[in-house]
Amino acid sequence: MKKLLILLLLVFTLPAVAGLKPYEGEGPTPPLKLVDMQGNTHDLAAYKGKVVLVQFWATYCPPCREEMPSMNRLMEKMGDTPFVILAVNMGETMEEVEPFVKEVGPEFPILMDPDGESIGAWQVFAAPSNFVVGADGKIHYTLFGGVEWDDEEIVTRLKELSGS
Amino acid sequence: MRQINSLQQALLILLLFLPVSVLAEAELRTLEIGDEAEVDIRVFKSDGDKLLLGFACDEGQSVAEEFTAESLAEDGVEVWMPDMLGGYMLPKTRSSIYSIPSEGLYRVMEEAMETGKKVFLIASGPDTELVLRVANEWEAKHDGAAGLAGVVLMFPRLNEGKPEPGKEPEYVEAVGKTKEVPLLLLEGERTPNRWGVKHLTAALAASGSHVHAKVIPDVRGYFFKRQDANMPEEVVTTQLAGLIKASLFFLGRTDS
Repeated sequence: MKKLLILLLLVFTLPAVAGLKPYEGEGPTPPLKLVDMQGNTHDLAAYKGKVVLVQFWATYCPPCREEMPSMNRLMEKMGDTPFVILAVNMGETMEEVEPFVKEVGPEFPILMDPDGESIGAWQVFAAPSNFVVGADGKIHYTLFGGVEWDDEEIVTRLKELSGS
Repeated sequence: MRQINSLQQALLILLLFLPVSVLAEAELRTLEIGDEAEVDIRVFKSDGDKLLLGFACDEGQSVAEEFTAESLAEDGVEVWMPDMLGGYMLPKTRSSIYSIPSEGLYRVMEEAMETGKKVFLIASGPDTELVLRVANEWEAKHDGAAGLAGVVLMFPRLNEGKPEPGKEPEYVEAVGKTKEVPLLLLEGERTPNRWGVKHLTAALAASGSHVHAKVIPDVRGYFFKRQDANMPEEVVTTQLAGLIKASLFFLGRTDS
């Protein structure tokens, strides 16, 4: 009985693993059209039909740095699921971003936004700020703060959203 | 570039070895703040007409702030550093700030006003909530700024709860209440909060205060308290007194 109580206590006091919150904002998904570090332009509208994780991050943000390797693992776990990550850097220069990117080797594009245009449009006031855009082009979830993106609960939720 | 780095290093070394005797030393005052509570105030005296009251919760913790206070006093700005946490026997943690009653700092401010100098409030991080609360009460009781010449908010952390992506931030109750006292907001360039400066500035000005914001290039928040400060942050820390003095000058010009 005592063991059962301890088990129940543990289960009910554990923090929410995923942390994805249903999006409560109104209006259409803001546009996102930016150039990545290799000079390729990425337009969110062109990814309709895929689940897109849009993340706003910066090298001076410790949780952003910590979680990026888990985003690589998430890409791997998503496998053939139609899913992409667009990681938008918040106003830094190439010189500031490059060393960290070389160290981590992200398997997804890092978009540069030196003037912070998209940051205003997406109402981002802190980092890391995440938006999960569904295959329908609408924002379904948001998440503030660092997480382990390859957590099974997140992977399951993203796969469900893609219809896989 | 190498020459600039050498210059910065030389400046730092010079400041580190500056003889303490050339700087103003603090005298310790004790003030009753009601309910048998007493607060110790480190006073860095100066003959100038400005008095800076703040750094409310760093008693004995921040060498950079004390050094800055000494420099300001040498440069004509009297600095009072009350140990509000000690006065209320609160633990020296960030969350304690919300437990400090406004009356205590208000009482210290009344005492500061007795000097006849122009009084400015200053705080950083979550401590900014306390100085805004006190400024609000001061205005409410005096029907205006009444000698409170301005408030400097360094890296203000005034959000109510966690920020939510895609939603405008919500602020603590103290934001947007001041009507006349001018406010100056300083934020580091290398912090996500810089993207909220415009929104916060508008929120702070909601009841009429003039609010000015300045983003300090190349530094993160709390740069003067950081153990892992980089070279630009160390350089700005050595220039903190000048930055604050310029802020007071600016606030003095917009004092309504």
